Amino acid sequence: MTTLANARPGQRRSLWSRIRSGEAHLVLFFLLPASIGLVAFYLWPAIRGAYLSFTDYNVLSDPTPVGLANYQRLLGDDLFWNSLGVTAVYVVINIGVQTIVAVLLALLLHRATSSTLVRGIALMPYFVANVVVALVWYFMLDYQVGIVNQMLTWLGIDPVAFFGDPELAVPTIAMINVWRHAGYTALLVFAGLQAINPSVYEAADLDGAGERAKFFRITLPLLRPILAMVLVITVTGSFQVFDTVSVTTNGGPVNATRVIYLYIYNLAFGQLDFGYASAISVVLFLLLAGVAFLQIKLLRSNQTDLD
Amino acid sequence: MTQMSRSIRMTRAGRRIGLAAVVVTAATLALSGCASAASDRPVELTYWMWDANQMDGYQQCLDAFEDANPTVGVHLEQVGWNDYWTKLTTGLVAETAPDVFVNHPQQFGTYADLDQLLPLDDLVGPAGPVDLADYQPGLADMWVGQDGHRYGLPKDWSAIGLFYNADQLADAGVDPATLEDLDWNPRDGGSYERLIAHLTVDDNGVRGDEAGFDRAHVKVYGLGLNRNNNGGFGETQWSFLALADGWSYADRNPWGTRFSYDDERFLETVTWWRGLIDKGYMPTFTVASSGMNDTDAFAAGRYAMITQGSWNARAIASAGGFPVGIAPTPIGPTGSRATVTTALGDSVWAGTKHPEEAKRLVAFLATPECQDLVAKQARVFPALRGSSELAAAAFADQGVDVSAFTVQQQEGTAVPSPVVLGWTRLQEIMGPTMDAFLAGADPDTFEKANRQVDAIFR
Amino acid sequence: MSVSAARPVAGRRPRRPVDAGRVLARVALAIMIVVTLFPFYWMLRTAFSDNRYLAADAGNLLPTHFTLGGFERVFGLATREDAIAQGGSGASIDFWGYLRNTLIVAVLVTAGQVFFSAMAAYAFARMRFRGRDALFAVFLSALMVPTIFTAIPNFVLIRELGLLNTYAGIALPTFFMTPFAIFFLRQFFMNVPRELEEAALLDGAGRIRSFFRLILPISAAPITTLAVLTFIQSWNDYFWPLLVGQDDSVRVLTVALATFRSQTPQGSPDWAGLMGATLLAAVPILIVFLALGKRIVNSIGHSGIK
Repeated sequence: MTTLANARPGQRRSLWSRIRSGEAHLVLFFLLPASIGLVAFYLWPAIRGAYLSFTDYNVLSDPTPVGLANYQRLLGDDLFWNSLGVTAVYVVINIGVQTIVAVLLALLLHRATSSTLVRGIALMPYFVANVVVALVWYFMLDYQVGIVNQMLTWLGIDPVAFFGDPELAVPTIAMINVWRHAGYTALLVFAGLQAINPSVYEAADLDGAGERAKFFRITLPLLRPILAMVLVITVTGSFQVFDTVSVTTNGGPVNATRVIYLYIYNLAFGQLDFGYASAISVVLFLLLAGVAFLQIKLLRSNQTDLD
Repeated sequence: MTQMSRSIRMTRAGRRIGLAAVVVTAATLALSGCASAASDRPVELTYWMWDANQMDGYQQCLDAFEDANPTVGVHLEQVGWNDYWTKLTTGLVAETAPDVFVNHPQQFGTYADLDQLLPLDDLVGPAGPVDLADYQPGLADMWVGQDGHRYGLPKDWSAIGLFYNADQLADAGVDPATLEDLDWNPRDGGSYERLIAHLTVDDNGVRGDEAGFDRAHVKVYGLGLNRNNNGGFGETQWSFLALADGWSYADRNPWGTRFSYDDERFLETVTWWRGLIDKGYMPTFTVASSGMNDTDAFAAGRYAMITQGSWNARAIASAGGFPVGIAPTPIGPTGSRATVTTALGDSVWAGTKHPEEAKRLVAFLATPECQDLVAKQARVFPALRGSSELAAAAFADQGVDVSAFTVQQQEGTAVPSPVVLGWTRLQEIMGPTMDAFLAGADPDTFEKANRQVDAIFR
Repeated sequence: MSVSAARPVAGRRPRRPVDAGRVLARVALAIMIVVTLFPFYWMLRTAFSDNRYLAADAGNLLPTHFTLGGFERVFGLATREDAIAQGGSGASIDFWGYLRNTLIVAVLVTAGQVFFSAMAAYAFARMRFRGRDALFAVFLSALMVPTIFTAIPNFVLIRELGLLNTYAGIALPTFFMTPFAIFFLRQFFMNVPRELEEAALLDGAGRIRSFFRLILPISAAPITTLAVLTFIQSWNDYFWPLLVGQDDSVRVLTVALATFRSQTPQGSPDWAGLMGATLLAAVPILIVFLALGKRIVNSIGHSGIK
């Protein structure tokens, strides 16, 4: 392919320029639908959302500009700060556990089996809706009728109020989402493992390196780029947790699970306080952009490390 | 379904994607074709309610309305309580709200304020079809907005009672008649607390008022705890106690603006109430909020008594395999008992396309003809006095003695539930505060909460 | 055992530790499979149980008092009295209607998004025009915008368009494109050998013809993968349909399930009915998964999908 292209550079360029000349309207044709989507449902809403955050707006009547009032209110709003904190705790537990489980699982899939069926099983929870997953676990973890507490009783352990205890509610929800996502994340890591050249391990074997040394000295460093990519994807998603909370605890007990999405949702669609809800959305957007920016820097530095 | 799986197989082949898409789309269109339901009446109204228990009675009522109004059809739709207000709000925003819906006195102020409710003044005026004098006292007043217009007609009233497991009462050697005049005070709990203690049994069979009672391993709690603590309302939880202690929710009702969650009488009431948990007579908040709710646990014999509303009387009485009795709420320091009474109402959405028919329906729902049909189902007490008496008789036919509720009307101890403007926001503050208090927070959290609540109304 | 223990140092390099690790790995794998599959079994077990006995017989690994009542309630086959007596809500649940709504929305979104994103991806991958890279960067930057930020204005927009509680309203925001879909397909389109398309264009085929006749068929595999993922994403979506599709006529399964949970008069969920419904809601996706699982499993490795 390359030789062919190199052989006739002049001819190629002239052909392309000929094609290009009548192409402006074609480019428009190909890009038009996607551009409508981009402008109507991403760019314009982003501008409008920013505008609404400076207004008092209940949707049923026109927005009234209120300047910075929404942002001032936000500073003194305990519920807002609480929801930020709850979300942060959720993200740390969810991402922390999920990443570790996923790496271990990927190692298992890589070393202990070559069965596509097993890989498929690992992926299965990811294909089931969040709502379904949340409801099933909500039932299984029920204090009185849940099978998990039954099993704990068989082991002589007192039942645990997974959703009722303010200390446990967020970790419980975080773990449910680990269950749903770990297999998927593991497959991404698994792909990274497959890309590692076996000769690296052979060399290590010759040097007499143990399993643990091989993992920490070879596998983990070589996985860093893919782990960084996985983290960028999962952290952003993790911040946006809503479905699981919405169908289980709905914010309780004692605001312990009132994540930021839920707070915004309740403000806007429960209390018709669209202006204030928009202001919190803006803050969340800036926050996520900041996190993503940091992660991308991390990703870049990792790439240069390895190349 | 066959079409669907066929299309999947094609996709699996990884080719002829276009064809597969055509098949799926065709299947989709075929499916969507079978769904349209045609109506044979020129005007179709939608009517929402949240209580599935009442649907049979109201369906009969709506059938009667349709018979009398051949051009109007009414579609009854049930939406669960947990989603009712959110769904109604989005319906208002989307302009797809129901023409007529069951409304709550604590919610209608917000909707009236947003111009979403149709004034119903002409239904009750001198020329109107409804005479307010026919209602139980106090109910109709709840439905007048701050602007002086009427936004709903009362449909029923409720009261709180003390439900007891008659078998467990007999086991404890308690005469049910003694429950008729229990007394309560926030210091030692009076005979009410002594009864709760006596009905509590630990794993070894030791009662709560006996020596050696193990409060950490309780088999039967004397009093149940509702998982939904109902925040600043406490309708079935503590309201009847605080009110019997002389407390009131706000400076005035309706449209109070200064709330009393920092009042000593409120604080001593809820502190006593929470004290039952420490004594082992009531389950912890953690347990109550994470498993079965109070009515299920009562039916399963885990709670000897629960405080619940009259709207659940039938369901609770028939849920367990044991006889259930209902006693009135205890007499407090004021020398009388108390209960909150809530008059649900029917409202008309301002955006309805058929305001005349919708109002005609609301007026019909307020007639004795309709309310008697509802009464016969023995689910709730209709708002009309005559129908309410009929309901009491219907309850009795079902083996449920509801005198514990009606006594509150007779003695004039039923207090109208608070009608305020920003109830949802109030509950956003009071719900978690009450959660936290039950879980062990200091009572002075209520002072801060009360300041926040008052700030809503400034 | 004792023999090898007597020679620990020599025993370290060859077989033994590997075997122990192997057993451990197998056990870990088995635990993983059980933990993954058990909830699915539990849905099945509960769906066939009688609600009234669930509490009393919570530890029973088989259905308690085997009954089809849960499914009857889901399909609306039970009378209201029966349903309430069995711990259901008595509310009518139009399962087939919700299934139909979900299917319509998922098909609309998948067809539109994949096709239009493919068009854009083609332009970005194979056409040259001024500002191309800058424009592509703008598209990609939309990837960073969290849903909640656009959800409120989008809701307002859909309302102004009069599309609340319509299929179009639920589908539109993801109908034209997602940044990910464009990014994903562009990668594949860029790898189509230039000579193939040159030959087609020399033969007098236009760009449009080349796109339909050459690029799309040759990229069938990635397009299918994307289509499946988009379909599943759309099938499982909850937040957006919750905002704009509350009405019964367009309500999708996920939203209906969440509503179903809070429906019973006494406030305690109808677990048997709910588990039956969740199971049924998951079945179509599981079928897609069984049919295409291998392809997806393999392609996830290669593409690093969302």
